[in-house]
Amino acid sequence: MTTDESSRRRVTRRRLLGAGATVGAAALAGCNGLLGQTQDEQKAPGGRKAVGQIGSGRSPFGDREITGGTSMADMPNMSGELTVYSARGEALVGELIAFIQDLYADLTIKVRYNSAAELVNQIETEGDNSPADVFFTVDAGSMGELKNDGRTVSLPKNVLGLVREEFRDPDGQWIGTSGRARTIPYNTKQFSKSDVPTDIMAFPDANEFADNVGWAPTYSSFQSFVTAMRVLEGDAKTKRWLRGMMDLGVREYGDEFLVSQAVADGEIGAGFANHYYIQRVLAGRGGEAPIDTAFTEGDAGAIFNVAGACVLKTAENRTLASNFVRHLLSAEAQDYFARETFEYPLIPGVEPIGDLPTIDELNPPKGLDLTQLSDFEGTIELMREVGVL
Amino acid sequence: MTPERETATARNARGGGEAAFPLTVASAAVAAAVLLPLVWLVRTAVAVGPAEAVALLTRPATVEVFANSAALVAAVTGASILLGVPLAYLTVRTDLPLRRFWTVAVSLPLVVPSYIGAFAFVSAFGPRGAFQRALAPLGVESLPRIYGFGGATLVLTLYTYPYVYITTRAALKSLDTRLVDAARTLRHTRWEAFRRVTVPQIRPAVAAGSLLVALYALSDFGTPAIMRFDAFTRVIYVEFTTFGRDLAALLSLQLVAVTLAILALESRIRGDGPLYVESGGRYGDVVRLGRWTAPALLFCAIVPALALAVPLGILGTWLLRGTSGVGGATLGFELAHVFNSVGVSAAAALVATAAGLPVAYLAARSRSRLAQAFERATYVGYAVPGVVIGLALVYLGTSYAAPLYQTLYLLVFAYVVRFLPQAVGSMRASFLRVNPALPEAARTLGRTPAGAFRAVTLPLVAPGLLGGAALVFLTTMKELPATLLLAPTGFDTLVTRIWAAYGEGYFGYAAVPALILLGVSALSMLVIISQEGYDVK
Repeated sequence: MTTDESSRRRVTRRRLLGAGATVGAAALAGCNGLLGQTQDEQKAPGGRKAVGQIGSGRSPFGDREITGGTSMADMPNMSGELTVYSARGEALVGELIAFIQDLYADLTIKVRYNSAAELVNQIETEGDNSPADVFFTVDAGSMGELKNDGRTVSLPKNVLGLVREEFRDPDGQWIGTSGRARTIPYNTKQFSKSDVPTDIMAFPDANEFADNVGWAPTYSSFQSFVTAMRVLEGDAKTKRWLRGMMDLGVREYGDEFLVSQAVADGEIGAGFANHYYIQRVLAGRGGEAPIDTAFTEGDAGAIFNVAGACVLKTAENRTLASNFVRHLLSAEAQDYFARETFEYPLIPGVEPIGDLPTIDELNPPKGLDLTQLSDFEGTIELMREVGVL
Repeated sequence: MTPERETATARNARGGGEAAFPLTVASAAVAAAVLLPLVWLVRTAVAVGPAEAVALLTRPATVEVFANSAALVAAVTGASILLGVPLAYLTVRTDLPLRRFWTVAVSLPLVVPSYIGAFAFVSAFGPRGAFQRALAPLGVESLPRIYGFGGATLVLTLYTYPYVYITTRAALKSLDTRLVDAARTLRHTRWEAFRRVTVPQIRPAVAAGSLLVALYALSDFGTPAIMRFDAFTRVIYVEFTTFGRDLAALLSLQLVAVTLAILALESRIRGDGPLYVESGGRYGDVVRLGRWTAPALLFCAIVPALALAVPLGILGTWLLRGTSGVGGATLGFELAHVFNSVGVSAAAALVATAAGLPVAYLAARSRSRLAQAFERATYVGYAVPGVVIGLALVYLGTSYAAPLYQTLYLLVFAYVVRFLPQAVGSMRASFLRVNPALPEAARTLGRTPAGAFRAVTLPLVAPGLLGGAALVFLTTMKELPATLLLAPTGFDTLVTRIWAAYGEGYFGYAAVPALILLGVSALSMLVIISQEGYDVK
């Protein structure tokens, strides 16, 4: 080995160690930047801020004033630390939760965002050591799963009383905080409202939709819809419906926002989606897009599901946790859901926004309550058997 | 070369024995640590009754998706070798212009989360997607189908070939080119010299990279789902969405079994002979491309252009198309996200390299079955879907390590469990090329075993070490499922921001963090390769 070579190796080695040091320093810098907790430094002790409309107050569908419901100002004070596991995305509810936290000087809300399925799996896996106090989620099914697993506690009567009976668990273990209707988004250049069947079971035979209709079978709201069909029509008819749709050449999408986008683009003439996706497509395109909402009547295609919240058995301060849920049902929060996420408010006196029927004008199937929609497993098995999943 | 190998092997057997005991203990500890999540898998899977288990594992649908997955793994691995090896050769052994730039560019697809890549390809090349609409005025009515086997193979290959590229590149960097020169003086053509000298030298590295590709293709959730290809992971995914953790765990164990089969196969293919000559590696002569320069540049440009420009272009279109007002306030960019991403990724790369070092060294130096078993054990966590590893650590964390639960320590541990083999594979391939006679010479000159390792072996394997660290760093940058389950509550990284926007359909908002993710990763890659002493002439 020549001197030359050995000195070159030393250099290489120094470079290697240098690289290690650089990386290590970067790692430390990253962790420190993160661990430094700098919240709650600018909150005045005691008093709370004045309550007003959350966000800009503007909506693509026009401005409005809050009228009905109970204001957050008339709800109990909150203080302490609360951990919320939220299956509702930060993009949709982050501003609302930040608003509630900023209302109280001594309140810290930590939010963990993930999909509903992963959060339910996580809470069940954490068991009695779960740090979660409240679960805030997108459908009745995931709350029903936690209830059946014995992970929830009853909500107080004064919270449960805020919404109608059909929007909460009969045993008081969970409550709806906003509603979503199943709808048929359709392309207004291809069809008029009267072309869209009002009976969901008629779709497989609607040849005008051959190779021109879309669904998102992996999406949980779609699976709730199939579950509802099983309850209302039985497994045999549901299978026939799914097979019929496949024979019709239905196109598959990753979620119902993409279904609605595809309808607006004319990629498909119609689809199956929750109502607010249509409003979001319209809002994203300045209200100008060839897409409109059609409803079926009194069948599985017209179910009305809720996003909601429940208090977990592991909550350190159950009063604080249920007060947080109560705030989600305040006039301000309900108005926020209507204006910003285009959902149906569930308390009387706050109306939905956009070109939508009111909650009482909807035609959900009679004799079906949301707790009947918790048999996801049977639905998945059925969908798999047919070859949809 | 043959007699040389034999004597070296004989010497090797002795060399391995010296420091074997502490090394074996260290390797065993690392292997045990990364196998810990299996405890939860087994514990949860046994909750499934035996009858139900047999029915689930043998029903026709399961068998069919298994065949689909096997085909996908084979196709993606083959295609990745066809892309990765030539790219590595071009950027290391030739006079290709702007080699440092191309090295970074062709490594970068590794940081694109596969669901973003798949989503972008569907948006761009799907029926009535952006591409078809752009071509519609020219009378193009439809494009070749992007969904299904072909599309899944294309997308997975574009985002995983860098595994082969980076490991092969490290091997070529430390290749002793005098062997090639010798072959050339013996009237071998360039191709013959490549086939007879270079290929055997880089084979363990190519095999290590291919193994990472194969196991990635096997365990990826997102791509097959978006490309509508019925792979095995889709079945696991369905169980998870319906809260069937026990069945998901059982299916994941089946995935582990397949992994073990792939590992056994790779052990046979990779060739375990030590691959060194008397001197250490020397990096010298460069192949002149001449008139092949333009085609070579085109090849180097097309691959990353497809893999990077398509997703950026699609996210950019969504950005221009506009999104509704809500969300903008919470999806904004903060510098902390960059620090968090780089911080945890660098920590994972450091820990994985340190933990992998004894495992890789022992596996390369010792022929014992135990040493090989420890090395193979590190692959198990990599082949199980991230969400399964995440839940396993949720269980272990809450049950046995509550103070560590949802802290950065457990998060980094999760990354190490998931990505350790990326470091081990690359390092092992490097150690195989170091002639044990060299550290021995240092020992006869009075160095301790550790001293000889530091002074002689470590510098020789530096490219492999850095290559492995780079792989861990880049894949941690994009890791999502374990991050969402295990990060401290409120801890946001670039990739969680991409997910937060993408998951709610705010595709445009995903463009900014995605762009930053690429930029930051490119800079980090530059730092890493500049530490190699990469001299661009």
